[in-house]
Amino acid sequence: MLIAPSLLLACGVIGYPFYEIVRLSLSEVSRFGQIRGFAGWDNFIRVATDPIFVDALIRTLVWTVTVVGGTILLSVPVALVLREDFFGRGLARTIIMLPWSIALSMAAIVWLWAFNADYGMINATLRQWGILAQPLQWMARPETAFPVEVAIGIIVSIPFTVTILLGGLSSIPGEIYEAARIDGARPWQSFAFMTLPMLRPFMNIAIVLNVIHVFNSFSIIWVMTQGGPDNRTHILVTYLYELSFYLGRPGPAAVVSLVVLAIVFSATAVYMWLREREG
Amino acid sequence: MSRFWRSVLSWAVLSPLVVTTILPFAVMISTALKPHAEVLSYPPTWLPQHWAWENFAEMWEAVGFGQAAFNSVLIAVSATVLALLIAVPAAYAMSRLPMRGKGAYRQFLLVTQMLSPILLVLGLYRMVASIPFGDATMADTRLGVVIVYAAYHLAFAVWMLASYFSTIPSDLEEAAWIDGASRARAVISVFLPLALPAIAVTGIVTFVASWNEFTVALTLLRDPSRLTLPLKVVNLVAGRYSVEWNQVMAATLLATLPVAVVFTLLQRYLVTGLTLGAVK
Repeated sequence: MLIAPSLLLACGVIGYPFYEIVRLSLSEVSRFGQIRGFAGWDNFIRVATDPIFVDALIRTLVWTVTVVGGTILLSVPVALVLREDFFGRGLARTIIMLPWSIALSMAAIVWLWAFNADYGMINATLRQWGILAQPLQWMARPETAFPVEVAIGIIVSIPFTVTILLGGLSSIPGEIYEAARIDGARPWQSFAFMTLPMLRPFMNIAIVLNVIHVFNSFSIIWVMTQGGPDNRTHILVTYLYELSFYLGRPGPAAVVSLVVLAIVFSATAVYMWLREREG
Repeated sequence: MSRFWRSVLSWAVLSPLVVTTILPFAVMISTALKPHAEVLSYPPTWLPQHWAWENFAEMWEAVGFGQAAFNSVLIAVSATVLALLIAVPAAYAMSRLPMRGKGAYRQFLLVTQMLSPILLVLGLYRMVASIPFGDATMADTRLGVVIVYAAYHLAFAVWMLASYFSTIPSDLEEAAWIDGASRARAVISVFLPLALPAIAVTGIVTFVASWNEFTVALTLLRDPSRLTLPLKVVNLVAGRYSVEWNQVMAATLLATLPVAVVFTLLQRYLVTGLTLGAVK
C-alpha cells in the first residue's frame, strides 16, 4: 500500500500525543510530568473554575471574531481592486502578498520594535504629527497591546484570504457583467446582486479556514506579550503553553488542550459540511 | 473611466494596506543599518546618518547566526525530503489508483491538516521525550523536530500533490504500458519527470513552512547549539533588559530575505496549487 507510511506517521505523531493528553487530563500529575494517580474530573473542575481560563476563553472568541471579521472586511475590497486592470497591479499584488513569506515570530518581533515606546517608529511618527503628546506604552498595557495584536493578526491573514477570493472572482465569467450593464444595472447593483452571491462559497471557505488558523495562532501573542501584562492578553493556546511549560501544571494544561481540540473539530466539521454542500 | 484614473483610484484604495505592509520591512531595513547609538536616539530617522554595515558581522558573531542557519537548513531540508518521500506515493495512489476507502483517507487528510501542533504540544513533548535516542531521548534533538514537521506537513503535501497529479494526463503512462513498460517503469520514466514541477513547488512550500516554524522548535529544542533561526532571534528579545535592536533587525532581515525572495518569485505557482487544494 502506497499510503501506508503516511497513515503510520500521521497516526503516530498525532494519535499518540492525543492519547497522552487524554491520559494527563484524567490524572494527578506532578510539576515534572510524573503521573501520580487517577484524578477523575479534578483537572476539569480546576480549569472550569480558573478565572484566567474563563477570561482566555472569552478573549479567544473576541480574538477570532475580530481578526477573521477584519480580515474578510478588508480582503473583499482588496480582491475586487486587484481584479481590475490598472498600472502596477503586479507590484501591488506582490506587496500585499509579502507578509505571507515571513515567519509570524519574526513579524511579531519587528512590530514589537516598531511599537517600542521610546524609540519605535510608530510613537515617533504619531508625535511628529502631533497626535500624541507623550510616548504611549503600547505593549505594557493590555488595553493597547491586545488591539495591536489583533491588527497584526489581520495583516498577516490578508494574503491567504485575498488569494482564495481572487480564485473565486476569476471563476465568475465577465460576460454576465456585460449583460447586466446592457440591461441597465448600476455598478453597485451588479456588485450586490451578482458578485457577492457568487463569491459567497469562497467567502465561507475563507472564513472557516481563517477561523481555524487564527484560533491556533500562537506566535504573535506569545512573542509580543506572552499573555501578559497581568494575564490579560492570553488566548487559549498561549495559556495552554504557559500552563504546560512555565507554570508546571500539565494536568490542567491537558484539559485546556482538549477544549481547544473540541472547538477546532467543530470548526472542521462545519468546513467539511460546506465543502460537501458547495460540491 | 480611463485606465489612468482607474489606476489612481485603485492605488488610493490599496494605499493604507500597502503602507502597513511595507512598514515592518522599512523598519527592519532601516534599523539593521544603523549604529547602536543612532537606534537609541530621538527622534528616529528612516535613513541612517552613518551606514552601519558592520551590524551584520557583529550580529553573526553574537547570535551564532551561522550555526543557527545551518540548523534551520538541516531541519527544513530533512523535513521536506521526509515529507515528500512519504507524500509522493500516497498522492500517486490518490490520483491514479482505484482504491477502497479513498473518501475516508481524504477526510483523514483534511482533519489532520486542521490540527496545528500547538494543540497537542504537551503530548508531543512527552512522546518525543519518551523515545530513547542515543544516550538520552529524542527531546532536544533535531531529528525529533524533523519527524514532527514532516508529520504535520504531510496532509498538506499529499493534498497539493494529488491535485496537481490529477491534472497530468494518464494517456502517456498508458502508452508506455502498451509499449511493454512495467507499471513501475512507466511511473519512473514517464510520470515522475512530468510531476517534477509539482513536487518542487510542494517541496518549497514545505521548506518555507518548516523554516518559519516556531512553536514546535521552541518546545523541543533547548541546547543553544541546536536552535533554529526564529528561536535565536526571539531569544535576543525575550526577557532581556537591553536589546541590541540593530542586531536583532539585521538577524531578522538575513533570516527573512532569502525566503521572501523565493516565495515572491514562485507566488504564481503557489497560488494555483493552494486554490486547487483549498477550494476544489
